[in-house]
Amino acid sequence: MTSYTICVFTENTFGLLNKITIIFTRRRINIESLTVSETERKGISRFTIVIKEESRETVEKVVRQIRKVVEVLAVFGYLNDEVVYNEIALFKIPTPEGAKRLDIETVNKTYKAWVVYWGLEYVVIEKTGTEEEIFDFFNYIKPHGILEFVRSGRVAVSKSSRSLVEYLPEEEKYDYLSYN
Amino acid sequence: MMTREETTTAVLKDPQVLNESTELMNGSHAVIRALLAEGVDTIFGYPGGAIMPVYDAIYDYQDHVNHILVRHEQGAGHAAEGYARLSGKVGVCLVTSGPGATNLITAIADAIIDSTPMVCVVGQVAKHLLGTDAFQETDVIGVTMPITKWNFQITSADEVPEVMAKAFYVARAGRPGPVLIDITKNAQSEMMTKPFKYDFCHKLPGYHPRLVPKREHVEAAATLINGAKRPFLLFGHGVKLAGAEKELLELVEKTGIPCASTLLGLSSVPVNHPLYAGWLGMHGNYSTNRLTNECDVLIGIGLRFDDRVTGDVTRYAKQAKIVHIEIDPAEVDKVVKAHAPVVGDAKEALRMLTPLLNPNSHEEWHAKFKELDAEEEEAITIPELSANTEKIKMAEVVRMLSDKTKGEAVIVADVGQHQMVAARYYEFKRNNSFITSGGLGTMGYALPAAFGAKVGDPEREVVAIIGDGCFQMTIQELGTIAQSGLPVKAIILNNNYLGMVRQWQQLFFEKRYSFVELQNPDFITIARGFGVDGHTCDQRENLSDSLDKMLASDKPYLLEVIVEKEENVFPMVASGASVAEIRLR
Ligand SMILES: Cc1ncc(C[n+]2csc(CCOP(=O)(O)OP(=O)(O)O)c2C)c(N)n1
Ligand SMILES: [Mg+2]
Repeated sequence: MTSYTICVFTENTFGLLNKITIIFTRRRINIESLTVSETERKGISRFTIVIKEESRETVEKVVRQIRKVVEVLAVFGYLNDEVVYNEIALFKIPTPEGAKRLDIETVNKTYKAWVVYWGLEYVVIEKTGTEEEIFDFFNYIKPHGILEFVRSGRVAVSKSSRSLVEYLPEEEKYDYLSYN
Repeated sequence: MMTREETTTAVLKDPQVLNESTELMNGSHAVIRALLAEGVDTIFGYPGGAIMPVYDAIYDYQDHVNHILVRHEQGAGHAAEGYARLSGKVGVCLVTSGPGATNLITAIADAIIDSTPMVCVVGQVAKHLLGTDAFQETDVIGVTMPITKWNFQITSADEVPEVMAKAFYVARAGRPGPVLIDITKNAQSEMMTKPFKYDFCHKLPGYHPRLVPKREHVEAAATLINGAKRPFLLFGHGVKLAGAEKELLELVEKTGIPCASTLLGLSSVPVNHPLYAGWLGMHGNYSTNRLTNECDVLIGIGLRFDDRVTGDVTRYAKQAKIVHIEIDPAEVDKVVKAHAPVVGDAKEALRMLTPLLNPNSHEEWHAKFKELDAEEEEAITIPELSANTEKIKMAEVVRMLSDKTKGEAVIVADVGQHQMVAARYYEFKRNNSFITSGGLGTMGYALPAAFGAKVGDPEREVVAIIGDGCFQMTIQELGTIAQSGLPVKAIILNNNYLGMVRQWQQLFFEKRYSFVELQNPDFITIARGFGVDGHTCDQRENLSDSLDKMLASDKPYLLEVIVEKEENVFPMVASGASVAEIRLR
């Protein structure tokens, strides 16, 4: 299975999340993670969808189906090495009296993770990184017990302007002929 | 002082004024004004609580738009489809919320898969009631998301002009399809806060179908075609939708390439044209299916390689290089990988392609088709048409109808054996003459669609060919037809069976006939009850007179023909088989 990151740029209207996710549902493609945010351009949203797929062809087909949604402005499919990507994870770790002390130095220096909240009986550690880096840290911290753990899902930007499947409109080149 | 009606008339005469108004109007009037601005002359609809303000507005515009009251919303949907398919215009439906909308679903699903332009305006509960499970509230936007080209909920009157303009643009542009506009009751009754002004939509930020293909793609296609020894051209609905019949013939006549049609492409090339090889797919012709797996270049134009066309796709035209001309990029490489894809409108593409092609005649290649055609004639066509069985055969009825109408009628076929027989035996001589539910295979389509088609082009003879099973799915539309008085002709080919399912049970389920025999009503009595005249024909010697009588009527007419009970449609590519394995019996 290969991870693909699909970036979808859309108008910001009601129901678009549905319009996009049903395309995956119908083809029985499981979404590993999904994040939505407004882009640098007002009124334009960006969906970052991660899927795992055997066949590149399936991904290309799904990209073209997403492109058909009227409010979708552009869709790109990327392989992992074509994007810079990260996630944020939050770990809620118990700190009861007498328990093994957290090695904050290792947490900071080795794992580049930071305590962002000190509670009376627990701390919240924030770890930014790839899925693998987060998983590594997860394994390291696990012996302390994990009260809660959450990942944000991937956000990604492409490394170059070239993409796996490219259907960005070249506006001027299109002719608008009437139906008849 | 002018009456309200006179004012509307005066206003409507001036197209400038039509699209602009200084008075403030409510959302319902804006909906109708938008329809008029788009040139809509017909609405197929059914009223109800959540759409009443729009119906109240229509009352003022009865002289300008023909509202047709159907008997079931599904009928409105199929009528709008038939109207759109024959007239080339957008079909318009108007229905109420909840059950009104859900009754329309089948037709919407039908329209999307058969690329039929349609705008459905659907009432919805008032905005403040959304999400409260109010009376007749259904999440129609949610329900229709996967089966519309676009859908949108209007919740304020001011949104109406812009959204309606967008709806019509999306329905027509590129690959056409159904658009649904869900309009809340408050948006219908509240006043707009600004004067009505209608700006047509010509493009959208996210939707700009490519009509003119890339030159280098057309050139690559031309190179493949020019190098072909045994090229074969398949055309589909896209040719008709693009109005590219003439351009298609030009290509075929210049290059001598044999061409064949999908179900929805039928009638785009006259059947008696020497380069027309026939029909494709499950019940298509013997030669066209067999030779698909022997050609060296396969040129698909305006089609999507549906599984009813390809049979087992892993054994479909594997030896051939594929040229695929198609307006919807998502169809390219979806089922069959194209060596030379050309994304664009069929008409534009053909205009660019034909000048690049070398003249040719491909005589030997044609001879192969002729050889197989002769086998099919011998094994199937001749026996079917010269049967001396006790009961009439479907094929005889269709061929006789074809002769009597000189192959120039509009045939609207329902779904089942009779549909396949209609497609096989009607000899289409005129473009845009076959309307049927292809992609969805919707039983009950034909009666309302034939009615819609007749409304769309009253000059043409429209004959529906319907199975006894199908007829009972939308039988109530006889009422609509009777009320309109339009001379829609319908033939029931009555075999007293859900024949197509029975055929499969016979061939693939050891003749275990499971719930396929019908106890039918007396169709003619029912028709008469609706005010539609008709008669039954059960003798071969009466068939000719019966058809004459039906065709001569200047009113709606129902002809029931009692046909052989257990006949099978052949040739057939059994499901899971390769097109090369098409059987003659
Ligand atoms: C709405 C719907 N339900 C079920 C089917 C499955 N189906 C396809 S053909 C057919 C039989 C049609 O019977 P009839 O109208 O009598 O036509 P015949 O095949 O006998 O000519 C059925 C049940 C369908 N296509 N559409
Ligand atoms: Mg039947």
